[in-house]
Amino acid sequence: MSSPAQIETREAVAEIGDKYKYGFVTDIEMDMAPKGLSEDTVRFISAKKGEPEWMLEWRLAAFRRWLTMKEPKWARVHYPQIDYQDSYYYAAPKNTPLKQSLDEVDPKLLETYKKLGIPLNEQMALAGVAVDAVFDSVSVATTFKEKLNEAGVIFCPISEAIRDYPELVKKYLGTVVPVTDNFFATLNSAVFSDGTFVYVPKGVRCPMELSTYFRINASETGQFERTIIVADEGSYVSYLEGCTAPKRDVNQLHAAVVELVALDHAEIKYSTVQNWYPGDENGKGGIYNFVTKRGDCRGDHSKISWTQVETGSAITWKYPSCILRGDHSVGEFYSIAIANHFQQADTGTKMIHLGANTKSRIISKGISAGKAQNTYRGLVSVYGKAKNARNYTQCDSLLIGGACGAHTVPYIESRNPTARIEHEATTSKIAEDQLFYCLQRGIPQDEAVSLIVNGFCKEVLQQLPMEFAVEAQKLVGISLEGSVG
Amino acid sequence: MTALAARREEARTSFAGRGLPTRRVEDWKYSDLKSALGEAGLGEEAAATRIMGLPQGLEFADLADPHAPAWVAAHLGTLARNAVSESSLAFAEGGIALRVPAGQAIATPLALELSGKGHLRLLLVLEAGASLSLFETGDAAGPRNAGIEIVLGEDASLDHVRLSRPVPGVQVEEIALSLAARARYNAHFASFGGKLSRTELTIALEGRGAQAQLSGVSVLGGDAHADITTHLIHATGNTHSTQLFKKVAGGKARAVYQGRVTVAKGADGADSRQTAKALLLSETAEADLKPELEIFADDVKCAHGAAIGDLDADSLFYLQARGIPEADARALLIHAFLEDALTNITRDDVRGMVRNAVGQALAALT
Repeated sequence: MSSPAQIETREAVAEIGDKYKYGFVTDIEMDMAPKGLSEDTVRFISAKKGEPEWMLEWRLAAFRRWLTMKEPKWARVHYPQIDYQDSYYYAAPKNTPLKQSLDEVDPKLLETYKKLGIPLNEQMALAGVAVDAVFDSVSVATTFKEKLNEAGVIFCPISEAIRDYPELVKKYLGTVVPVTDNFFATLNSAVFSDGTFVYVPKGVRCPMELSTYFRINASETGQFERTIIVADEGSYVSYLEGCTAPKRDVNQLHAAVVELVALDHAEIKYSTVQNWYPGDENGKGGIYNFVTKRGDCRGDHSKISWTQVETGSAITWKYPSCILRGDHSVGEFYSIAIANHFQQADTGTKMIHLGANTKSRIISKGISAGKAQNTYRGLVSVYGKAKNARNYTQCDSLLIGGACGAHTVPYIESRNPTARIEHEATTSKIAEDQLFYCLQRGIPQDEAVSLIVNGFCKEVLQQLPMEFAVEAQKLVGISLEGSVG
Repeated sequence: MTALAARREEARTSFAGRGLPTRRVEDWKYSDLKSALGEAGLGEEAAATRIMGLPQGLEFADLADPHAPAWVAAHLGTLARNAVSESSLAFAEGGIALRVPAGQAIATPLALELSGKGHLRLLLVLEAGASLSLFETGDAAGPRNAGIEIVLGEDASLDHVRLSRPVPGVQVEEIALSLAARARYNAHFASFGGKLSRTELTIALEGRGAQAQLSGVSVLGGDAHADITTHLIHATGNTHSTQLFKKVAGGKARAVYQGRVTVAKGADGADSRQTAKALLLSETAEADLKPELEIFADDVKCAHGAAIGDLDADSLFYLQARGIPEADARALLIHAFLEDALTNITRDDVRGMVRNAVGQALAALT
């Protein structure tokens, strides 16, 4: 039996419609690679980037490997066969020489950022955020370089890093996510066009939160970033990644690779707020997000923490993972995944315990509404040498309306008798009594729902850095606006 | 060709097309059936089944009988099928069919022994309001594949206890059930493993108020392997399921639990709880748990918990502080850990037998 509140909810869901406020297209002339994917495309991208020979060889090897691979089909997501030849693999705004100041940046671009609410101006100084804004493949403006330089932190587009720090890039590129890792990672290795490189030297605590905004702009282009973050011994860095994409009818592919390396006593905190265009209420359009993110706790006492708020994309296929190699290393995964309308999310994490006394913690909150399918898929694996390994996992799902799905697929494997692994999961809907309690005190339905959902997500939201937490909280509200009641 | 023969033929064709599952099939990730069986595969031999005294009121039919009664033809091979159960349907020569007519409550437990090697098939039908208690034992002399179908009519009630003996070979079984409104299935699986041992249950809660309570223990040593895989399908609302599986693995043993709970669209009021816990006693043992939820309705209560670990240090300390030697304290705690899953067995005498078997297996292990 549906209560009046539920009926109202469903009606509200139907109305939510075109609420994607970032669905606009910036009309800037693009510099494109010819459509399609071949060795020539790879060579084109490499030449555009002015890359050294070794990088081109690396890409070509990946491309040849990719040709022999099959697209994975195990995730609980359905989409029509992707035609990899029917897409552009490189798109950069024309006239791209790096600007010295914001005044030189194309005002249209700045306008775009303004709509996105990226603080790429004076306010940034107050916010203390350095933004390396990726506008379709090429970093357009980078700020706060000097301050970071002082600390010895390298924070630059990866193409720049390949040119200026080839040894560092060679040392870490592909060591966490090997070229052969999976179909999408291999594709990325062949055609990645930009991304971010961060290196924090020994003993340095990065003086500010590093932030990159990715944005897919040109129609029918995949965005393939490659991000590498290396935290040398005893260092600390917090990295924020935010994503929005304009509205399109054609589905766009995004296949990024992120590699994190934490050496002895180093800590990396990686936060993502992803609100890419999820498609309209009929499931038309939206981003396909097939991303490989992995962190390697290579050193003893190292720590890697992933926090993600996933509200966008038509399809999310993403499993930020930690390889806990160093003794006493720590891996964390905090996730909120919201799927509405026809969105499909298959996301989770892998915690691979290799070293002794390694610890991991997984908190996952999945929210499904409309006709969406939301899956948590995770692996906790303790190897023989991981003495006293500990894991705690909590996966909660919230269902809103009877037409959506929430699924939990945890794999738990232990090969060490001293390890302790605990997993808990629950699935429920918004409790009528909680809602009633709020309504009775005069809180309107929408606010009450936002309150309850935010409460449901609290453990994850509080892991986000301040600047992001505010945005994320708003996003949770926007994504579910009117859909809950 | 009779309908039955046609169904067998179809199963034979289907199995020939699908072949044995490999580890690449996600559901068989932790049980490498193909390599455990080797070249020979499951073979096409038929196994033996023995009934120790048919309780009064129970109807018996031989599945090999071409003139089997209508209720056999109505049900055999009609429940959930996968590659392995196709092969038992195709190759088992006959097998046993049992029926409890509507309204009959059979007081005497039915003791059934499954043994020998090869394929075997069992069909059990409890008509509306019927009840039965089934006690099953058995071992396998070689590769054995059992395909079991259980049909529970409205308000029917079945208590099912399986006490397997440790087997040297490969043993797989596919148990498919369908439960009508308010039917009740209460089952316990005590397993001591084999070279590869797998019990797979597919339970469809078709009618409102249907409920299934599953529990099981495994005690594994040496290089034993035991896999229990369950799939609970809440096809309609107001259906209930609980699962509690406890595993102890020593030596180089491998304990596997995979449990999937599916709540179909519109199955409001479904209630499911699932718990799986494993205790590893050696550096080389392994436990793999995969409790899975697949939910397409919103007004449901579903929870699962899983844990793998060592004995609780505080409890151990508590006992030792009271003068109990460590070895005894450990044994006590392991017994307590498993005992929890035995309480689901309703008959005291049967519970006693299972407890004895568990005790012996533990003694051999520690």
